[in-house]
Amino acid sequence: MNTKRLIFWASFIIILGLIIWGLFVAMNKPLDTTPTLGTPADVSSTDHARGSADASVTIIEYSDFQCPACATYYPLAERLLNESSTTVRFVYRHFPLYPVPHKNALMASEASEAAALQGKFWEMHDILFDNQKLWETSSTAGTIFETYAERIGLDVETYKKDVVSDVVKARVQKDWDEARTLGINSTPTFFVNGKAIVNPNGYEAFKAIIDSAIR
Amino acid sequence: MKHLKRSLTLPFAEASSVAVIILLIVAMLGFADATYLTIEHYRGVIPPCSIIKGCEIVLTSPYSVLFGVPVSLLGALYYLLVSLGAFIYLESKHGKGEIATHHSSILKWTLIITVFGFGMSLWFVYIQLFVLHSICTYCIGSALTSTILFITAIVMLRHSSIKQTEHMRNDSALPPELPQSI
Repeated sequence: MNTKRLIFWASFIIILGLIIWGLFVAMNKPLDTTPTLGTPADVSSTDHARGSADASVTIIEYSDFQCPACATYYPLAERLLNESSTTVRFVYRHFPLYPVPHKNALMASEASEAAALQGKFWEMHDILFDNQKLWETSSTAGTIFETYAERIGLDVETYKKDVVSDVVKARVQKDWDEARTLGINSTPTFFVNGKAIVNPNGYEAFKAIIDSAIR
Repeated sequence: MKHLKRSLTLPFAEASSVAVIILLIVAMLGFADATYLTIEHYRGVIPPCSIIKGCEIVLTSPYSVLFGVPVSLLGALYYLLVSLGAFIYLESKHGKGEIATHHSSILKWTLIITVFGFGMSLWFVYIQLFVLHSICTYCIGSALTSTILFITAIVMLRHSSIKQTEHMRNDSALPPELPQSI
C-alpha cells in the first residue's frame, strides 16, 4: 500500500473515531445550564414525603408518572433514600404533562392521590412507575389503575369514588399550578434544598450533588 | 425510470467525485446522528420529558427496537456501510489513480442500498406522525440524511445509465470491420 493510500485510509478511520469519541465526551459532560427556576413552596403536611423530617437535605421532584425519564430516576432516588434516609428527605410533586405528550399522566396522578386518601400514596407511586410500560399508551388505563388499587390493598369502591372527586383533582392541580409558576417545563425537575439542579447523569452524579449539599 | 432500471444491469460508469463526496459527508453526518442515539440507548439516559416535545416517547417506544437491537444501531451500521462504499470508491479513484471494476460495483451497490435506507426512514416518519403522534428531532435528522443519500444515489445511477447508453450507441455506430477498441 503506497503512502498516499495509507493517508487516505488513516484519515477515514480517524474521522470515524473522532465522531464516536466526540459524542462520548459531549454526552458525558453535564450541561452547565442550571435551570433558572423559582423557589418551590416549603414542604407541608399535604406533601408526599419519604425520609426523615429532620433531614439536612430535601429533594423535591416535580414528576410525571408517564414520563420515561422520571421512571429512570425513580430507582436512583429510592437508592439514595435507602442509603441515607436520615440525611435525605424526598418529596414528590405532580407535574403531569397532559394531554400531550402524556395522555394518561393526569389520570395516573389522580390515582396516586386517591390512594393517598387511604394512606397509600407511595405504594401507588411505586406500582405506577414499575408498570409504566403496561399502561402508558393504554386506552383503559383507568381500569388498570383500579387493579393496582386492589393489589396494594385499597378499598376499591372508595378508590373509585375518590379518583373522580374534586378533592383529588384540586390536589393535583395545586402542584401543577405551582410548577408552572416556578417556570418548570419538563420532568423530572429536581430541587435540592430549594435550588433547581441539572439532572444528574446517573446514581454517582446524583449522590455527589446530595453529598455536597450535606457539607 | 427506464434509465434507472438499465443502471442495475449495466456496469457502473465513472461517477463524479463531487457526488461521491456529498454521499460520504452526508453518510458520516447520518452516522454521527445514529451513533448518538445508539449511545443514548445503551447508557439508559432518557431525555427529560417536556411539554412540547415527545422525543422520549419515540426513543422508548417498542418501534425503537428490532429483535432486541436498537434501530439506531442498525441505522449507524447502514450509514457506516454507505460511507465505506463511497470512501472505497474515492480512495480507488484518487489514491490508486484508477478505478477497478469491483470498486465500481461496490459504489453501485452502495447506491442501491440507499433505497432501503430511504424506505426505512419513510416507515419511521409514518410511525412518529401517525402512530406515536410524537416527533424526535434526531430521528427526523436521520430521515433527512437518508433522503439526501437516496436522491443523490438516484441522480448518480441515472447519470451512469445515460452515460453507458451513449457509450453503447457510439460503439454500435462503429463500422463492423473496425476493431471495437479503436
